[in-house]
Amino acid sequence: MNYGELLKLLAPESILALTLLLVLGADATFLSGRAPGLRRAVAASLTVAGCMGAIYWIFFFPIHGHLFSGVLVVDPLTQVTKQVLLLLTAATALLTLETAFTPHVGEYFGLQLLATLGFLFMVSSEDILTIFVALELASLSLYMLASFAKGNLASAEAGLKYFLYGGLASAFLLFGFSLLYGLTGETLLAKIAAKITTTPRDPLLVVAISMVLTGLGFKIAAVPFQLWAPDVYEGAPTPSAALIASGSKLASFFLLEKMMTIGLSSAVGSGAFHALAAGWVPMLAMLAGLSLIVGNLTALAQTSVKRLLAYSAIAHAGYALLGVIANSSQGFVALLFYVMTYGFTVLGAFGVVAVVERQTGSDRLEAFAGLSRRSPVLAGVLFVCLLSLAGIPPLAGFFGKFYLFAAILRAGAPSLGILWLVILAIALSAVSLFYYLQVLKQAFVREAPLELPFSVKPSTQLVLILLALCVILFGCAPDLLVSKLLLALKAAAPGLVF
Amino acid sequence: MESLFFYLFAALAVVCGILMVANPFSRNPVTSAMFMVLTMISLAGVFVLLHAYFLAAVQILVYAGAVMVLFLFVIMLLNLKEEEKRKPGWVRMGFGLVSAGLFAALLLRSVAAARNAPLETAAATVDGGVKPLGLLLFTEYPLPFEIMSILLLVGMVGVVVLSKKELK
Amino acid sequence: MIGLSHYLALSAILFSLGLLGVLVRRSLLVVYMSLELMLNAANLALVAFSRFNQNLDGQVVVFFIITVAAAEVAVGLALIVALFRLRQTTHIEDLNTLNH
Repeated sequence: MNYGELLKLLAPESILALTLLLVLGADATFLSGRAPGLRRAVAASLTVAGCMGAIYWIFFFPIHGHLFSGVLVVDPLTQVTKQVLLLLTAATALLTLETAFTPHVGEYFGLQLLATLGFLFMVSSEDILTIFVALELASLSLYMLASFAKGNLASAEAGLKYFLYGGLASAFLLFGFSLLYGLTGETLLAKIAAKITTTPRDPLLVVAISMVLTGLGFKIAAVPFQLWAPDVYEGAPTPSAALIASGSKLASFFLLEKMMTIGLSSAVGSGAFHALAAGWVPMLAMLAGLSLIVGNLTALAQTSVKRLLAYSAIAHAGYALLGVIANSSQGFVALLFYVMTYGFTVLGAFGVVAVVERQTGSDRLEAFAGLSRRSPVLAGVLFVCLLSLAGIPPLAGFFGKFYLFAAILRAGAPSLGILWLVILAIALSAVSLFYYLQVLKQAFVREAPLELPFSVKPSTQLVLILLALCVILFGCAPDLLVSKLLLALKAAAPGLVF
Repeated sequence: MESLFFYLFAALAVVCGILMVANPFSRNPVTSAMFMVLTMISLAGVFVLLHAYFLAAVQILVYAGAVMVLFLFVIMLLNLKEEEKRKPGWVRMGFGLVSAGLFAALLLRSVAAARNAPLETAAATVDGGVKPLGLLLFTEYPLPFEIMSILLLVGMVGVVVLSKKELK
Repeated sequence: MIGLSHYLALSAILFSLGLLGVLVRRSLLVVYMSLELMLNAANLALVAFSRFNQNLDGQVVVFFIITVAAAEVAVGLALIVALFRLRQTTHIEDLNTLNH
């Protein structure tokens, strides 16, 4: 073991940690007492600079390696994912400029960076101990980001609910991990998988798998572990909700995929899904089906746009789960493409919500009335993002769904259960169009009583336009990202052959 | 001798656990906190039986020392008395009892079914003293150790912000 | 002779007790204590497995869990205090601002 090598492999994380100290330090020393707007601008620029620095570092110094036989995994796939995570955080930081809910600027940006550090470690680890610690790092930061608007009762409640459900989920996850460790005597996912094949099937294994799925199902907000999501999305400050919806989703799905395809790869067995002990695919299929139904149908009845986005996020977790269920490298790529583009899309949507909320003081559907005349740019971004979420053709959401369906149908063999899930997903996509159009109808057709133009910060406009362009670009030329992911997955082969 | 101590500590842990969760005599959070600490201390006893000496010490230091003090501090700070008597949610109570009971049954069944699995090796030889644990910690797991330092920073930053009174 | 299954049974009972507390108690503080109990049940299982698997990795994991739990307690109690400042309650059913 060599600390120099550890530092080299962790350079992006170290850059981020230094940025964090810089943000906290700057805010506490020479910026203290200055105007909040200035402090926000400085903190956001530092945050963005740090994220960009880490992205450039990954880009220009692509080193790969496994340390401690898997406690730290740095391969092309994790590096691509980290770059996207850092982009999402940078965009969130810029969108935060649009809000003014807290005087504790440095701490807010600091916690965003800390959560991002947690995401990066989640992506980069294949060892249950490190996974747990990284997950807790991210979760604790997110709990506090959710309750950061201190004078606001909704925010305090959102944070507390998130914390309680999250604590319950980590207890389950931990018990599941402890059973996995107990059954195999190993903490590394690959070794756990190797031992599970040799151990005779055990009821404790089934318990372990379902407990791990409970814990991770909470993180991705799959039904029936979604109870926190609507309240947290609605009550939390909008940038916090955006980070929970984008970065946290991506990191958690990456982790779930690794957990299932590496750690429990032998619990799938040779296509023997019917045996109880080989059951994570049917379990996930059930979660996916429930999430699709509950998410899409409940979203129909929402009047708060943030809450609507929460239910839509639950539904999208259902779609993304299809990629995990496919249990193939094509499924993995489809999953990553879907969750990454979903992250960009939902950030765009939340950015628009943040502006509307700031100007009108509400995120109700009515608040969006006349948006197309009050701010054509915002309306355009909202148009692109929501249609992409609904899966309308030239946008990224369409291709993501298409790729997921293709992956699961190809991997699933002629299994009827899987086909049923795909049909359900397609039918519910059509339903989802309805509630997205509700919002767009308000924005483009309805007239507001008093249509004053919105003043939108140039930085916000720039970020939102870039996000919308990404959504269009990856929809028209998905191969840009897909080929990159496929190459990375191939290069990362040793741990990920399946 | 070992089994005597095991049953002693196990019974103590379970009884205190029950009294913490569902105390028929008191709805006061202070009582719950006290029984929680007793449970944790009995668990430390069980850890000693499992030769996890260092963890037993840490368990007592952290739970009896830090966690309980924090809980009591908050209870006193908020000046909480009895849990308010509200209309008893029998449905919720029943639901909770049934689901927790079913869950326990499921877990215990699985444990019983796993009894004959190769897990049950008798002659255990590892001792969880400070030295072997420390060696493992700093050779195999320095990364989680570093992540933990960041996690503590999260706690510090967040807690200070959240519980500080706003000066207007 | 006390074997692994005894320890696991104890851990299962404590975990379910914690779950019961989370489901039925209405005071935020007691609910949070019950969560701690669940974490401790997992710790017990890990230590027992570590003993019977003949390696110390499980104990290292427990060491980390205890540390995380301590940090989490600080955070959780800060959240509860923050809520209490606004709402003068620690009762779960009062967490209803967001339920429409």
